[in-house]
Amino acid sequence: MFILYKEKIYIHSFIDLNMKKVVIALVLILVLSNCLQQPQQQQKEIIIYGSGATFPQPQIEKWISEYGKINRNIKIEYAGKGSGAGLNDFKEGLVDFACTDPPVSEKMWRELEKKGQILQFPIIIGAVVVIHNVPEVDGLKLDGKTLAEIFMGKIEYWDDEKIKALNPNKKLPHERIIVVYRSDSSGTTEVFTAYLSLSSEEFKKDVGIGKLVDWPVAKVGRGIGGKGNPGVAAAVKNTPYSIGYVELAFALKENFKTIALKNKDGKFVNANAETISSAIKATSVFVPEATEGYKEDLFAFINAPGEKSYPIVSFSHVVIWQSYPKDKSEAIKSFFKWVLTDGQKHVIEGYVAVPEEVAKVGLRALEKVKGT
Amino acid sequence: MLRKLKNSLFLIYIVLATFLVTLPLFHIIFSVFINGFPVILKAGLSFLTETLPPPGEELAGIGPAILGTFILTFLSSLIGIPIATLAGIYAAEYPNSFFSRATRTLLLVMIEFPTILVSLFVMSIVVLPMGRFSAIAGAIALVIVMMPYVAVYTEQALKSVPERYREAAYALGLKRKQVVFRVMFSIARKGIVTGFLIGIAKAAGETAPILFTAGGAYRTFFIGLDKPVGAIPLLIYDLVQQPYSNYHEIAWGSALILLIVFLAIFIPVRLSVREVKL
Repeated sequence: MFILYKEKIYIHSFIDLNMKKVVIALVLILVLSNCLQQPQQQQKEIIIYGSGATFPQPQIEKWISEYGKINRNIKIEYAGKGSGAGLNDFKEGLVDFACTDPPVSEKMWRELEKKGQILQFPIIIGAVVVIHNVPEVDGLKLDGKTLAEIFMGKIEYWDDEKIKALNPNKKLPHERIIVVYRSDSSGTTEVFTAYLSLSSEEFKKDVGIGKLVDWPVAKVGRGIGGKGNPGVAAAVKNTPYSIGYVELAFALKENFKTIALKNKDGKFVNANAETISSAIKATSVFVPEATEGYKEDLFAFINAPGEKSYPIVSFSHVVIWQSYPKDKSEAIKSFFKWVLTDGQKHVIEGYVAVPEEVAKVGLRALEKVKGT
Repeated sequence: MLRKLKNSLFLIYIVLATFLVTLPLFHIIFSVFINGFPVILKAGLSFLTETLPPPGEELAGIGPAILGTFILTFLSSLIGIPIATLAGIYAAEYPNSFFSRATRTLLLVMIEFPTILVSLFVMSIVVLPMGRFSAIAGAIALVIVMMPYVAVYTEQALKSVPERYREAAYALGLKRKQVVFRVMFSIARKGIVTGFLIGIAKAAGETAPILFTAGGAYRTFFIGLDKPVGAIPLLIYDLVQQPYSNYHEIAWGSALILLIVFLAIFIPVRLSVREVKL
């Protein structure tokens, strides 16, 4: 390592040099943190922490920023980690609220209840859309059963008779269908497999419903896994003749070709604000009271009746405690009350505001929140 | 003739191979500059001070993340470097004792240890008992990640000093402490400082260790060591997973800031610490 030709040793005081730096850095940090803290001390600001589902994260960030313009003393920090991770953080008391796409399961609910009464209510609606990358055609239509067969690997080519029958006027290419699915545990997959299971007995039996399922199509070598919505979106974009499922917001942002799905009334519908709220309005009676959120059934909102109803919609929920320390309870009440009323006017593309009757579930829940 | 040909062929091969090895580095620096620089130009100075904007709108800034990264790096260096240096000295000074050999082996294991497990470990021993994500938990996780690098580099650097200098120092009547800290340290300082820098760079750039510990905060500035704090790598990880182009732009800008911070620590110190020619 060292060249041995000069007998010279620098006895620089190595330690002293470092000490100086440490002191300078310390002073810098102190000055910096003082500068930043001074304005805050005057206002006495409250920070609420939340974590959970990634799906509503952009919407929540939008709300946080809009709400921040009205109320400067309450700040909210939200970390998108996934529904499961968020509920765990919430259970351990690491965060003040959690967001979850599927409703809290009864088992988790009971565990949480040991620590205090919890409240769950929907804050925003989303939809899962089927996207494809067949350059030749646009405006494809499919029904749940055919879709299930595609995702099971039973239908191998785009010009299969069953797809042709649903799209009589389209010129479908004789190309193999590549199926893109979520490789990570995801609420999107749960909602999507719930829809496929409702549409096809065979899918229910062979694959089932879950956040993570064994896709049969992966075993025949025509499947690609993608991590998160971005992973699936990227895989579909880069793979010609592929098909996949993502949240509506992602499909819109990336300008994907979406597939119109056949709803319960036999009409083919695309996901948009109108068709999604139609589905929710038809099923809003199934939203349980906030104190018994575990009773909510994911299936109740899928394949909703109504001519205009889009079949794969789901709520994103927030979970909060019934009691908080005094100042925090006021902050939480104020923020979520705003979210459920004025906040619903600041909805970004790809999400749909909850209808008034559903928002009331949340508003009633917030009445119950008490400071201790 | 043939020998010369072989020689030059091999030389070309080595140059090419070196080029291939360093290519990713240049590509990263290049693409981060190309994509990140326009963002910072567009956002201006407020990119360093503002908080995170809502999706699909303006660029605003990443102030809390920058401050968070500095705090995490500073704290973890403050805790980690002294401990790790002492461990390195111990391993170098007592090369044959059982504990020293065990220390060396364990340090090498720690270098290879998956950082995500460190994160989980710190979550279970610090975050859960405290009941909160915090800057201090993030710093502890980073300490665990950075320490083996610092210790191993220190040990290697001290070991590379020829024995005769130690003997000469003893012959002058210096105490062991003086021999180690004044003679050996000074001679090996380039290697040791490199170890410090790699440790600091690790702390500034790692994502996994702070994933379950720091908590993240991008709209509020640092308010205390026991409160959640954000960091640039964590922010980038969050932002690229969302479909909004302004978030992707901010992520590129953040990557450039991270790169600049990294180069700003690394290059000047690396150059200013002169190698000791023996």
